[in-house]
Amino acid sequence: MPLKKEKEPLIMHPRPSSIVAALYTLRDLDTDVVILHGPPGCSFKHARLLEEDGMRVVTTSLDESGFVFGGHDVLVEVLEKVIERFNPRRIGIVGTCASMIIGEELHEAVTQVQPDVPVIEVEVHAGYRDNTKGVVMALESALASGIISEAEFERQKALLKEATMVEKRHGAASKEYLEPNRGDLKYKVAGRLLELIKQGKKGLNILNAKKETAFMFADINLAVAEVAQKLNAGSNIINMANLDDNVGLPKNRRNALEIKGDLKEKGFKIHHIIGGLDEYPVAGNTADRIIGEKYKDYDFAVISGVPHALPMDNIKNMELFSITNGPRQVVPLKEMGHTHVVVEIDLHPKTLGVSHIVESEFGATLRELAKDA
Amino acid sequence: MPKQIAIYGKGGIGKSSTASNVAAACADEGYRVTIIGCDPKSDSSITLLRGRRIPTIMDLMREGIDIREEDIVFNGYKGVKCVEIGGPEPGIGCAGRGIIVAISLLKKISSAIEDTDLVIYDVPGDIVCGGFVAPVKKGLVNEAYVLTSGEYMPLYAANNICKGLARLEMTLNGVICNSRGALNEEKIVSEFSKEIGSQLLAFIPKDVLVQTCERDGFSVIENAPDSDIAAVYRKLARSIMGKRDGKIPVPLDDKRLRELTRI
Repeated sequence: MPLKKEKEPLIMHPRPSSIVAALYTLRDLDTDVVILHGPPGCSFKHARLLEEDGMRVVTTSLDESGFVFGGHDVLVEVLEKVIERFNPRRIGIVGTCASMIIGEELHEAVTQVQPDVPVIEVEVHAGYRDNTKGVVMALESALASGIISEAEFERQKALLKEATMVEKRHGAASKEYLEPNRGDLKYKVAGRLLELIKQGKKGLNILNAKKETAFMFADINLAVAEVAQKLNAGSNIINMANLDDNVGLPKNRRNALEIKGDLKEKGFKIHHIIGGLDEYPVAGNTADRIIGEKYKDYDFAVISGVPHALPMDNIKNMELFSITNGPRQVVPLKEMGHTHVVVEIDLHPKTLGVSHIVESEFGATLRELAKDA
Repeated sequence: MPKQIAIYGKGGIGKSSTASNVAAACADEGYRVTIIGCDPKSDSSITLLRGRRIPTIMDLMREGIDIREEDIVFNGYKGVKCVEIGGPEPGIGCAGRGIIVAISLLKKISSAIEDTDLVIYDVPGDIVCGGFVAPVKKGLVNEAYVLTSGEYMPLYAANNICKGLARLEMTLNGVICNSRGALNEEKIVSEFSKEIGSQLLAFIPKDVLVQTCERDGFSVIENAPDSDIAAVYRKLARSIMGKRDGKIPVPLDDKRLRELTRI
């Protein structure tokens, strides 16, 4: 008899799309232009945002007759135009729900046009339970075109599996419905944090952020270090960050280097590197081990980025200050035992197209309050 | 690589009967055969399984089962491997998408379409959307056959299928005539085959025995092995298994098609 999997419960709140996940992955692979084969509005917001990062996104603009008669010809036309207009070194073609349902074969257009540059084809739609599927599919295609190594592919796949588990345990996929929530008032939380620093309490200052979101999350850790310095409590704070620039896809390594450069310039010392920018699902485990060995008796911890990826074992007795960018992450974090949860709303868009740390609201609040301290 | 064939033709013209009898005849000759039913009705392999219905790929997928090869591949007459893709009830959902999904899964998990001598894709009569040509587009079919009678409408459908094959740059390896008892039928289909650049491989006479055996859940090869009609299927099977080069068909215009059926 066939093995019946335990049926996964329905999740009703909207969640990240696998099409968009494929787009971001293509950007990390330094793709110059991506063709979205589908309706003009599909993934518009992210397609537009990705252009801030220098990747061009165009669409075949399938319409009602395209759904009925197929979109092969227009895909060929757009591919030819893209080559002529942008002279790209690397092209991506990404599917959408509409084109995949009607059975469009992305490869046929590539066979017909025969571009001289590599084309990464991703036959993806948004109907997968976990958006990480879109990342895996893009990476599979990149592997097939020889753009990434087998070792890197396996490494990424293992990380994505962990990322999916993190979301299932305490993240966006943990409940049938999660209420969006703006989190605790930044002013109050910053006040409490300053109080602890002033009292000379010992604290951990941890950055565990996903890829480019670190450009803003790092500002929070920087602000914590700065105000502690100002209050002559700098030595009470231990900094950890997932800013290893020796791992990951080209863009992630670049970004880690850029952020580290900014931090160094501001006199921020990273005591422990806990992983790379794409290792946020597992870097928490490294942090957990270090805390268990050295900092178990610390009083508080500031965790920015993906706080729910940090195991609670060694931090459960600390006062936790968590900063997330997901309004649906507030409830799960509170349930895990995080004392204060702050949301940096709309953080991601502000971290596209940048190469330096971007000011955060919570960081700014903390700095402002410290002026009067 | 195994011979991978698809049999096309107007709905109701006898594709499943032909496919299952050819499969059984090839199995008799000692070939390893796999038959993939691509019709949501999922009745392609039923006469190879003594009337038993097997679980379809789409049914299992819908139930959220982690599908392994042994859940979807069943041994029929003389070890013919039977797979049914399945799909929604008429009028709901999207059967074409079902074929795309199931074919991709099959490619990933099953050796039945590789480690064999002959794979027959029994495709639905009307190629109404992109999904219905998924086996061809995903590179799983290397030979196509068209089944028709000598009547105008089935020939019209066959000619249309040739248009589709030509567009996909797919070769046609032969035409099979499943007789409906029309006047000058063999001559008409033979002429049609020549004009589109192919050849008539077999003329299957109308025989009530086919229906009788099917109703009982058998192919004629299994239930009436010594009949004349069984001999016709055996000959067709040998002809298909014999080496042959196909050609991309050249469809006729409608005027010529009408003339042809007046012979």
